[in-house]
Amino acid sequence: MLPQRFDQAKPFLTLGIALLAWLLVPTAIKRMARTSFFELQAPLKITASYVRDLQDFWALKTRSKNELIEAGRDLARLNAAYESRLQQDAALRKELERLERILKLPTPAGYRAEPARVVLRDFSSWWQRLIIRKGRNYGIVVGAPVIYAGGVVGRVREVHAYTSVVELVSSPGVRIAATIEGDTRPISYQGGVNPTFGPAFGTVEYVPLNIFATSASPLRLVTSGLGGVFPPNLTVGHLTKVEPSSDGLFKSGEVRLDPALSALNEVTVLVPQPVLPVR
Amino acid sequence: MKRRVLILAAASLLLAWVLGQLNHYLALWQIHVWCGGLFVTFVALRLGYRMGAVTSFIAGLLLDAGAPVAFGTQGFLLLAAHAVIFTIRARAPREETIIGVVIALFANLGLFLALSFLRIDSLVNPAPAWMRVFADLLVSQLVLALIAPWFFAVQTRLLEATGANLRRDFSRRLT
Repeated sequence: MLPQRFDQAKPFLTLGIALLAWLLVPTAIKRMARTSFFELQAPLKITASYVRDLQDFWALKTRSKNELIEAGRDLARLNAAYESRLQQDAALRKELERLERILKLPTPAGYRAEPARVVLRDFSSWWQRLIIRKGRNYGIVVGAPVIYAGGVVGRVREVHAYTSVVELVSSPGVRIAATIEGDTRPISYQGGVNPTFGPAFGTVEYVPLNIFATSASPLRLVTSGLGGVFPPNLTVGHLTKVEPSSDGLFKSGEVRLDPALSALNEVTVLVPQPVLPVR
Repeated sequence: MKRRVLILAAASLLLAWVLGQLNHYLALWQIHVWCGGLFVTFVALRLGYRMGAVTSFIAGLLLDAGAPVAFGTQGFLLLAAHAVIFTIRARAPREETIIGVVIALFANLGLFLALSFLRIDSLVNPAPAWMRVFADLLVSQLVLALIAPWFFAVQTRLLEATGANLRRDFSRRLT
């Protein structure tokens, strides 16, 4: 019979051996296991999101006809405005193509907009992520930018068969090249702390010294288009505080993000399209 | 043993799903619930070492699959918690639900802080981040205390449905 002291240490010895064995497992097998475990849980999550959509549908069915008529009228006005914008957009595109032909310029990479429903929000102090209901089946790729009506949502981090994981702009791991609206000098944005019961915050570095912002007069922070991931002029957040950084050459500051990021139900993934050759 | 492990893994899957849905709604207020301690407590207190360890590790891998951490991180954290609980379980009246809840609370506290230490060092500003960690921890402990009796009952019923004799598995020796 084993001595009691050794018997007590046996679970920890087993733990150590298991850890060593795990370290020796090839990465490919771990990756395959991770994908399998994720895909095993995906149908449950997707089903729950469909049930939520059904709940919303039945909730909307309780609305009166008058409300629907009013909503339809408002939508018709919006559609008319968008039709006019589309015509202007088409004319501008033609003009741009004509100039590119004349100057023999390559057409910049475009994006295919892929709207997707949010399956699950996972906003912890450790990470901020969304799972969306489109994956490889819709040609989503890792690194694709994700946007919503209010600006930048984040970036696609993982792509699975029918779902994708989006890392939010508020997540500490996200860095974006940004600029102040109306300014061309690049600023480094990074996701930051996400306090409970409040909007998320990000931080900025390398802010030029002549930029001043307060919570009373915030400045809109937009994507710069540098780096090629995000198209330019998408809203990241609002710069509410700047202070000189320790080196004295730049300022650093705080960016307030849109509280709507915590309640997103639908986002749009911008799937990069290949660069077209010179015409 | 395989059938019981699968049954308990299904229970872990159910718990992970319930917590995921809860977090989906709590995201509106920037609150997050993490109850890793609940995945290990019952299996560490009531089952043999091997079955409990395998079930804990599988539960950890289920959590790892959806988290941006190295695959196996939460698996080994849960395995370590399982080893600690298994070692001390002879000193506690482990059949009592309230004892299980208390042990789950302590296990969750330790695991939550361990995971936070692993993640927070990569943050820009750790001081406010720890405030958020403690807010999440408080809510997680409250939720865990509320749902632990239900989850223990689910695991007990599922094991009984497979014909398992929990009393026979009370042996402290490794099986």
